Amino acid sequence: MIDIQLNGKMVKAEEGEMLLSIIRREGIDIPALCDHEAIEPCGACRLCMVEITRKEWEGWKKHVTSCLYPAEDGLIVNTHTEQVMEIRRTILDLYLARCPNSKVIQKLAEEHGVVKTSFEKIPDADNCIMCYACTRICEVLGRSAISAVYRGHDKVIAPPFGEEPPDCIGCLSCAMICPTDVIPWQDENGVRTIWKKKFDMIACEKCGKEIITRDFADYLISSRNIPEDYFKICDDCKRIDLANKMGSIILQAEEAAL
Amino acid sequence: MNYRFVVNPSLCTGCRTCELACAFYHTKNKKPGRSRIYPIAHAPDKFVPVTCLQCDDAACARSCCFDALKRNEITGAIELNLEKCVKCRACVAACPFGCALIDEVHDEIIKCDLCGGNPACAAFCPTKALEYKKIEVKAAPARQTA
Repeated sequence: MIDIQLNGKMVKAEEGEMLLSIIRREGIDIPALCDHEAIEPCGACRLCMVEITRKEWEGWKKHVTSCLYPAEDGLIVNTHTEQVMEIRRTILDLYLARCPNSKVIQKLAEEHGVVKTSFEKIPDADNCIMCYACTRICEVLGRSAISAVYRGHDKVIAPPFGEEPPDCIGCLSCAMICPTDVIPWQDENGVRTIWKKKFDMIACEKCGKEIITRDFADYLISSRNIPEDYFKICDDCKRIDLANKMGSIILQAEEAAL
Repeated sequence: MNYRFVVNPSLCTGCRTCELACAFYHTKNKKPGRSRIYPIAHAPDKFVPVTCLQCDDAACARSCCFDALKRNEITGAIELNLEKCVKCRACVAACPFGCALIDEVHDEIIKCDLCGGNPACAAFCPTKALEYKKIEVKAAPARQTA
């Protein structure tokens, strides 16, 4: 255990623990869009910027992304200094120009006092902030179906060659983790469409409710060792089945006791 | 894991107090959550309270690709870490008893967490059909000599 000074308060932390998790644990609210427990931090959104210094630095300061900075003994961390807030406001100002239609960005910017962007808005902008949360979560699943393509201004998240991604299993993890809800998907008539690829949904054998995509079920069967029969009926029908099975056992036992 | 959640369906009258207790215990943002327990009638006036069985080798925990489902060694419950959950619904599809659920009100995945060691459903059950009790680990019978 080590000691760090956080906003003037001494707190205990594990050595090497990232500053953002300590800040969150202490109940201090700082914005972070690309951070999620399920994926490795990558410092893409820059909003979790904090100011660090040490006693022996004699007044020198550094601004770092807290999600990527490991805690060390004697570190002095400030999360809401005027300079840090200025950095966050600039980033949000840029985000407002990049994704003017995103509700999440608008709300966050408003909270920081940025109502209107001072930059030129991108015409026909999507809401992607290029935080790579979607590609990182796909990597955790071991699929890597999507990635960033092109460079510079044209950089976008897309499947290879803009075609249907062959490695995608239609699990929706990318769409669910996206902080600005950019990735479009839809479930319609037993078919799920995401990244322009169509997936057959498994329908419950009893009530017809759609459960998950056949490809995702195959992935879980092969890599997670889940028996195939588990995917035949939906959760509602499974509960009724369980009640009926347990009920018949109880009735039999009661009859035998008479 | 000295405690076990014990369900005795023959005592259940189907009053659904457990459902209310569960929903209100898991209130978030001033809205009660979806219940994690359901008494289901299998014959007229015969009910089985269906809830998570906290399986030893749980399909939900195995199916989770992000390690969000972990057993709490103190209470014995498999708990869902909402910070890690991506809502891919693998656990909902994989649970063989249909006890991992989607809470549409709060837009999250839910499963029984035994209320962190004091299940509200058991506390409110008027007939003791649901109980959370200490299980006595039977010691191996002493070998008799002579």
